[in-house]
Amino acid sequence: MHFSNLYSFSNSLFGIGLLALLLSSCTREKGIAPVAVAYEFAAPAEFPDPIYTFKNNPITKEGFLLGKRLFFDPILSADHTISCASCHIQSLAFADVPLHGVSVGVNGLSGTRNAPALANLAFKPEFFWDGGVTHLDFAPLNAIESEFEMGSCIEDVIEKLNAHPQYPSLFRQAFTTEKVTTPYLLYALAQFMNRMISDQSPYDQYLAGTAKLSEPEIRGMDLFQQHCASCHDGILFTDYSYRNNGLDSLAIDPGRARISAFAGDHGKFQVPSLRNVGVTAPYMHDARFRTLEAVLDHYSEGVVASPTLDMSLQRGDQLGIQLTDSEKAAIIAFLHTLTDRDFLNDPLFRRE
Amino acid sequence: MQSLTALLGLLNLIFFKPYNAIKMNHLNKISILFFLLLNLFFTACEKDNPTPGEDFGTFDLIFDNRVGDQAVSLVNADATEFPYTNNMGQSFNLTLLGYYISKIELAGPNGEYFADEISTGADAAQVKGFYHVLESDPNSQNIRLDRIPAGKYDQVTFTLGIDAETVQEGATGGVLDPAEGAWLWNWDAGYIAFGIEGRSPASPREADQFNPENGVQIHIGGWKDIAGNANMVNNVKRITLDFPSAVNIESRLSPNAHLEMDLLKVLDGHANNVDFSTTYAVHAPAKGKVFADNLAAAFSVDHVHQ
Ligand code: HEC
Ligand code: HEC
Repeated sequence: MHFSNLYSFSNSLFGIGLLALLLSSCTREKGIAPVAVAYEFAAPAEFPDPIYTFKNNPITKEGFLLGKRLFFDPILSADHTISCASCHIQSLAFADVPLHGVSVGVNGLSGTRNAPALANLAFKPEFFWDGGVTHLDFAPLNAIESEFEMGSCIEDVIEKLNAHPQYPSLFRQAFTTEKVTTPYLLYALAQFMNRMISDQSPYDQYLAGTAKLSEPEIRGMDLFQQHCASCHDGILFTDYSYRNNGLDSLAIDPGRARISAFAGDHGKFQVPSLRNVGVTAPYMHDARFRTLEAVLDHYSEGVVASPTLDMSLQRGDQLGIQLTDSEKAAIIAFLHTLTDRDFLNDPLFRRE
Repeated sequence: MQSLTALLGLLNLIFFKPYNAIKMNHLNKISILFFLLLNLFFTACEKDNPTPGEDFGTFDLIFDNRVGDQAVSLVNADATEFPYTNNMGQSFNLTLLGYYISKIELAGPNGEYFADEISTGADAAQVKGFYHVLESDPNSQNIRLDRIPAGKYDQVTFTLGIDAETVQEGATGGVLDPAEGAWLWNWDAGYIAFGIEGRSPASPREADQFNPENGVQIHIGGWKDIAGNANMVNNVKRITLDFPSAVNIESRLSPNAHLEMDLLKVLDGHANNVDFSTTYAVHAPAKGKVFADNLAAAFSVDHVHQ
């Protein structure tokens, strides 16, 4: 409570102590930091406050590099064939290749959902298309233990890591732990993923006043604000709510209702961020659209009625958002300004 | 005398704290030593007659699991005996039974109060105040509470399950580490509060990779009580139980309470009795709700030992 008071009180009693304190803080401030890679987490100024519990698991160089190594290592899969990076590819903003509409894991088994891009996860309150996971730490367990993805069980993975010639000492360096355990594995992966910040797109540079957007891009931005931003809201292009954007009259995948067991949530999915959307095809939870043109055609002509269709996509008998071809093209031009080449090419995330 | 010790304790704290952080000189060391000795001297004088606020004791919570008037005894999945019967007359056995107890508090008639230390972290040693009570592990059924201020206590309160505050801390070690046997759901990430597995001839379940023939699995989970989760089922329960008589806790005593959990009250306490021919795979919060709502009534304090 009154900690600062206690400190100054005792320091004035023992002047030598005070001097020592002053000296050390002086050197720290004046010291010139060597030019180094910034591993620490730093939220971009325009972004909201991060949600991730960095107090438990701050990003360190050792933790980040360990997380990276694990992300690229098929040791996490049952048959040593699949790594996280098999489905989450940096040049695609860590989404899956277009060939894999729905993800393909061990033994060639197919899942039912499209792997989303991974970026700006520290700001995300809930993960997966249905929001079932509420903390980034727990997200990788689904991939590791899913029979459609990596097919392992966590006990086996931990055993393999403890028996590995290098991992135990890498975990020791990163976390001073004697043993590899699940929480430290999840901490390392979370450190790697939390550092995936994408905030250097042409749109960001435009906001910062360091670059200009073309006329169609500006027009697309205005149209986007008008028609799309009610759901794809704010600097991260999502309000993280669960909505039905009119894909089916009866969704096969219950979406949010899988978690809430509430009929009113059937066919609702978490509004995805649209950052880097230009490189994350195919689109929607089940990868049904191959191109952004198809997505815009959907919003304009393809929205179908259902009991849970979002109110903003129905005005009386009129379903969807009517757009002319040139409006669609302008919106698509704007969406491409969200592609952050620095992020897609950042050597920090590349396999060592 | 007491207040003097307290004052010295405070001084100790003041002097100690900053000097851990910076280099100590001889003067500091001597002064700390001086206060330490003084402090020790006064505490030593008071040892003989413990008064509330200075004496501490232990208390054991011992969990006994029952099915009606039968004690639980687990069997292997291939067992062909079905010793228990539910209200529908369906026989069954049990291969697994357990639950999480956390955030334990004790209270007494004169304002006595004790809260078990709670902490989480990746390291198993940081995880305190969370207990996975498993029928298969007798040690886990005996929860030893420590450093309880001496006094009279007649009530225990605990959380059955792992609540939102804990889940939202992220990956946690010890009894919450899935590779160490923690009951963690991945798809709706969070911990199973209460679970049973067994077999009943009434269950139509066919054998597969995860289940024996006639398998019954009832996993009660669901903890979401967070903003934007209005439709979620939260099955974590806070349960308060009164002791039949008050117990004295002090350093010279080792009292305990025997808590009983009657599984029949979990299965059959709700409006409809459980029917294993239709209810044999409960793996989601909403399906577990009817059972979760019975949990408070299934626990009772059978007796206390002074
Ligand atoms: C076989 C393909 C595959 C592999 C391998 C895989 N993932 Fe995924 N990942 C997916 C799919 C599909 C989803 C979406 C699942 C859903 O929403 O139900 C996903 C979702 C995620 C999410 C949630 C993202 C969000 O914004 O909600 C994270 C985080 C994640 N994966 C991390 C990992 C990590 C770490 C690994 C390695 C341990 C991994 N993934 C391995 C396919 C894969
Ligand atoms: C009612 C809210 C809402 C509105 C309005 C809306 N969207 Fe969406 N959008 C969603 C949801 C929800 C999804 C995910 C649906 C799914 O996968 O089932 C989505 C998905 C997308 C995707 C696919 C992203 C991916 O990674 O797969 C794109 C692209 C997209 N929307 C663009 C737009 C554009 C452009 C507009 C305006 C013309 C728009 N959206 C208006 C809610 C909305």
